[in-house]
Amino acid sequence: MSSNYIWAAIVGMWVANFAIRFIPVAVVSRMDLPEPVMRWLRYVPVSVMGSLIALEVLRPGGEYQAPWNGAHLPAALVSMATYYYTKSFMGASVAGVVAFIVLRGFIG
Amino acid sequence: MPIFLGYLPVGMAFGVLARTLGFTVLQSVICSATALAGAGQFIALNIMKTGASVFAVLAATTVVNLRYVLFAATLSPHLRKTPLPLQAVLAYSLTDETFAINMADQRAGTSTDASMVGVGLISLIGWVTGTLVGATLSGFIGDPTSWGLDFAMPAMFAALLIALAENRRQALIGGVAGAFALALPLLEASGITLGTGWIIIISSMVAATIGAVTDR
Repeated sequence: MSSNYIWAAIVGMWVANFAIRFIPVAVVSRMDLPEPVMRWLRYVPVSVMGSLIALEVLRPGGEYQAPWNGAHLPAALVSMATYYYTKSFMGASVAGVVAFIVLRGFIG
Repeated sequence: MPIFLGYLPVGMAFGVLARTLGFTVLQSVICSATALAGAGQFIALNIMKTGASVFAVLAATTVVNLRYVLFAATLSPHLRKTPLPLQAVLAYSLTDETFAINMADQRAGTSTDASMVGVGLISLIGWVTGTLVGATLSGFIGDPTSWGLDFAMPAMFAALLIALAENRRQALIGGVAGAFALALPLLEASGITLGTGWIIIISSMVAATIGAVTDR
């Protein structure tokens, strides 16, 4: 892998990743969005998070994993429950990781 | 603090992986500091490994991170009074975690421009520090994901979903989105192969539409 190739990829990723974040902010924040669009946008955050977690937990590494076959799902539930009761991201993350490591020791 | 700790191990994993592919320590760190793209960077490494063109690498990282367009659009109505240079800073530091935390703060009424910049800065520092540590120590620590610390990210996502759901209906839509995300790879049987980036975008948009249409 040549150094020029790596630098080109780094600069390109910088530009690409900034553009897809900045252009929508710059444009949309200057518009008045109609109510139906606002309502739709209210459901976007939970939808993206739901998709991300489902894939991380039930399709880790791009392969389907039965929920009883790995530590991912129970550990995620531990994290969710911890956040629900403590409202602490710190506590939820730590609890999730600890649960993951412990459970993995049992069920692999 | 949790956002910092969540980024550290994943940043380390990126640092280790980048070094094994021939990045220098400097290149690994600069890549993390400029792209700040999490999954997008891992995908890029995977594709670079195959010797693909720079264009293919960029296309992949863009598709994986297209969800940022949705995030940016969702955040925008809250940024109307924010000056353009500051919008650029916030856009730069927009990630899954910073978005979710800022939205949660927004709902709690505690979000300000300063707090959003702070959240962005902490993630950037965590991600870059992790990359630096991973890249520097790549010869000694092996694969940090084998310790189980890589679960910090999903654990954080799980907590964020709970934080973001304002009511039962929203939580339900999050579940619907997850079900779509898990069903979409099945299309492979009919010859349609979707990358993870597209799966997340399609399932999110479909679920959000169901949520908006049924919300009366």
